[in-house]
Amino acid sequence: MLGPTGLLYILIGITIVLVATVALRPSLTATRGGKQLAFLVLFLMPLAVASLGAEEHMERSKQTDFCLSCHIMEPYGRSLHIDDRMYVPAAHFQNARVPRDEACYTCHTDYVMYGGIRAKLRGLRHVYMQYVGHAAPPLHLYNPYNNRECLHCHEGARSFEEGAVHGPLMESIKWNELSCLTSGCHDKVHDVAHLSELKFWEPKQR
Amino acid sequence: MTQMERRLRVSGILITLGLLVEALSFIRVHPLAFLGFMFIGGGLLAIGIAVYLYSLVSVPSPPEVT
Repeated sequence: MLGPTGLLYILIGITIVLVATVALRPSLTATRGGKQLAFLVLFLMPLAVASLGAEEHMERSKQTDFCLSCHIMEPYGRSLHIDDRMYVPAAHFQNARVPRDEACYTCHTDYVMYGGIRAKLRGLRHVYMQYVGHAAPPLHLYNPYNNRECLHCHEGARSFEEGAVHGPLMESIKWNELSCLTSGCHDKVHDVAHLSELKFWEPKQR
Repeated sequence: MTQMERRLRVSGILITLGLLVEALSFIRVHPLAFLGFMFIGGGLLAIGIAVYLYSLVSVPSPPEVT
């Protein structure tokens, strides 16, 4: 079954063949049908390829491999393999509580209107910093981590909302008065400064 | 070859190059692939389309062959 990239390749291939036909035999455009063909292949089809291609690249930018392809992110990628269930990102990644191929994006996008767009604009800034500016560790979040991002998945889960620990605190959690990460409850996150002292999980090869 | 045909050829070559760059950018999942898609591929496409559109409004069209 062809994926989106395969379909894009087919569309690009068809467009190239048609554009090359017009470029090699521009006299074709002397007729009304030729003019319509030229408008289709020199304007509409390239625009369609560019739009669909941009959409595909945007989807790819959600992938964990995309984020970890920048050198500065490498320790954050390693931290997903820490062999300790108290480390929140590692536990989520290893137990597939987040999609492994979109692990970074799942937790580091804002679950609000236009949050995805904002995350991608921030991503463009990161690309600029990686190749043009100067990115140096330690990295910091733009804003304190919002409980909303945790609640996007956990809210409504019975074990979470009726649990003895979370249940009584639910209002404070929902109103962000009590941070999931910095109130002393789930404060072990990436901890890249101490990676050399930790054990790592080796996933079994399938 | 008429001026219109020359411009169509230039436009076609630019668009073909842009499409090839865009196709190549899908080989890898990497920020540079994204930048290549956006700025090199997108730039060539944009210039090619602009040349085509400009030729439509700037070159007097010959009588249509039916």
